[in-house]
Amino acid sequence: MSTNNIYRPLKKIDFSSYLYILPAFIFYILFVLFPLGDTLITSFTEWNGISEKKWVGLENYSNNLSNKKIISSIKHSFILIIFYSFLPIIIGLLIAGIMIRVKIQGMATYRAILFLPQILSMIVVGISWRWIYAPKGPLNSGLDFIGLENVSRAWLGSFDFALPFVGLIGTWVMFGFTMILFIAGVQKIPSELYDAAKVDGAGAIAEFFNVTLPNLRGEIIVALIFTVTLALRNFDLIYITTGGGPGTSTMIPSMFIYKKAFQMNQVGSASSLGIMLTLLIFTLVSMILILLREKE
Amino acid sequence: MKKILLLISSVFVLSFASNAETLRILAEAGDEATITEAAAQFEAANPGVTIEANFLGWDDFMATIKLKMADNNPPDLAHGNQGFTVDGTLIQSGLVISLEKYADQYGWKKSFANGALSEFMWSDDGSTWGSGSLYGISPVAEDVIVYYNKDKLKSLGLSIPTSFSEFENALKVSKDAGELPIVLGGADGWPIIHVWGLVEGAFVSPKQTRSWIFDAKNVQFDTQNRIKAAGKLADMASAGYFGSDSLGIGYDDANAMFINGEGVFNLTGTWMTADFNSGMGDNVGAFAMPTWNSGVAGGGSFALPWHISSKSSNPDLAAKFLNHLMSIEFVDDLMGVGRVPAQAPTIDPTSNLQAEVIAASNSLVGANAKTFYTDWATPGMYDTVTQELQKVIGGVASAEEFIDAMAAESIN
Repeated sequence: MSTNNIYRPLKKIDFSSYLYILPAFIFYILFVLFPLGDTLITSFTEWNGISEKKWVGLENYSNNLSNKKIISSIKHSFILIIFYSFLPIIIGLLIAGIMIRVKIQGMATYRAILFLPQILSMIVVGISWRWIYAPKGPLNSGLDFIGLENVSRAWLGSFDFALPFVGLIGTWVMFGFTMILFIAGVQKIPSELYDAAKVDGAGAIAEFFNVTLPNLRGEIIVALIFTVTLALRNFDLIYITTGGGPGTSTMIPSMFIYKKAFQMNQVGSASSLGIMLTLLIFTLVSMILILLREKE
Repeated sequence: MKKILLLISSVFVLSFASNAETLRILAEAGDEATITEAAAQFEAANPGVTIEANFLGWDDFMATIKLKMADNNPPDLAHGNQGFTVDGTLIQSGLVISLEKYADQYGWKKSFANGALSEFMWSDDGSTWGSGSLYGISPVAEDVIVYYNKDKLKSLGLSIPTSFSEFENALKVSKDAGELPIVLGGADGWPIIHVWGLVEGAFVSPKQTRSWIFDAKNVQFDTQNRIKAAGKLADMASAGYFGSDSLGIGYDDANAMFINGEGVFNLTGTWMTADFNSGMGDNVGAFAMPTWNSGVAGGGSFALPWHISSKSSNPDLAAKFLNHLMSIEFVDDLMGVGRVPAQAPTIDPTSNLQAEVIAASNSLVGANAKTFYTDWATPGMYDTVTQELQKVIGGVASAEEFIDAMAAESIN
């Protein structure tokens, strides 16, 4: 049998192995590559969704770049990265760091509860938090109860607070994911490293920065890529909680794409913004990979 | 084999003899009760006709209607939406037909004052709006008027205002007495368009506003009177007449607050009549917003227009059903399902509120004072006007900044 295998023509082996990935590849072409190519072509046209496409070259792109509202929406996305990405990673690391030192009874239960927001539908999350932040919602009732009537307000209706408060919902959703990722990462760090650190007289903080953090590099990269991508392409949470308002204070590029394509009949322009957003995400992810890659 | 062939052919013959026809309808969900009622009547009166009606909620409907009409097998009869974004696009793409032939055949134009149907009139290439051929029709009127809490108005010692300054005074008295003068669901954005329409109507001639909406590129937006109206709205906001939280409250929540006894006035559309009636009984009244010189004005129009698909295999049947909706016999049924008919009903209103709403609506029709909706003007106007109005209500933009942003969008 084995000799038979060795002398089988190479071509045939190639063919059969490609056959295995063919179903997935067909799906990939049909639902990823084809729409992407179609969007790219559409982005160079003026199209209302049902008319003939009219070629306009780079006009959609230059219009987007000179649109102040779009530029400010991209700034909002970068602010959201702090809430969707940086805060969850810091909180996740903190919890993972504490877990190494402190053994808590029933940890699995706590972990499950903390992870819960991650598995909830964004619709459910958005509606729940809209209620929590409502003028007469639990947050304001709580503030009133402890005598902070001056502080309570319509959080999502405030031009100053709407963006950070939507961001905090993102933090709440994402930190369960980073926590699980980092806890799993910590468990694969050899315990000898911690023993060595103890022998060297390292305290909790020194141990965290010298042992835990460097060994979690791979997990941090994964967490960054995942959360930064979500912060930039996020749509549902903003759509449900504020719709981009009040004014344009929580407007993000994906809301613009939706509004242009479905409200304003500007599918070409919406496509160009989609391509720009894809490029932006691609660039940021590449930067994360390059800056944080293992130096050999 | 012979028997089977005989059976098949007889089924064919029978089905043709009984004139089996199906009329497919796609409607926005607000019309579900109306269409269900009308379909049952129409099927009973026309044996062999089956009506297949589908309904979609507002957001889903508006996001998909153009694609559905462009489909190879579109509904025969479907709602559109006034303005270039939906109706204009449907006409430009040749997806709906002119209703002129049917309007003549059934006499639809005779039921309305001259020019009253202009929001359904388009040039045949869909490039100009407000005159030309009739492309849509609706039996229902929708007007933005002022609903008020009767107990509160009475206990504040106020009566129904007959001029805009009296209305302003009522707001001040309400505020001073610790009441919320106007309940507003500003988080959704579009309810503020309705408030703006009423304040605008109090100072700007309805004719000027309508001509701007039909042709925003070429008709001046930043007129003296409109700047004054914007100033009034900004003053009302800074005086706290909308409360401090209105941008954090959605439309449904605001109406629930009103029904539960919060707020003296609620500036919204007649589509809320049935809900207010069942929630507040005799404690709610309605009037048309008075203008600065004691006339009336307000945002308002027909409800969503009905269009006949250019791909419909049986446009005559679709028109016949449309005529059923438009007929004088159906007017009373419209009242029964809680709509405000565009033509005068023959039966008495079913409640005090409905009587007051119909009186308000009639006064707007009589004064030719409906000003449509600001967001009809351009495809980008909905976004601009909701965002800019939220800024005015939130106190982060001045009346001048609002007017400038709107004028810029008009010529965009």
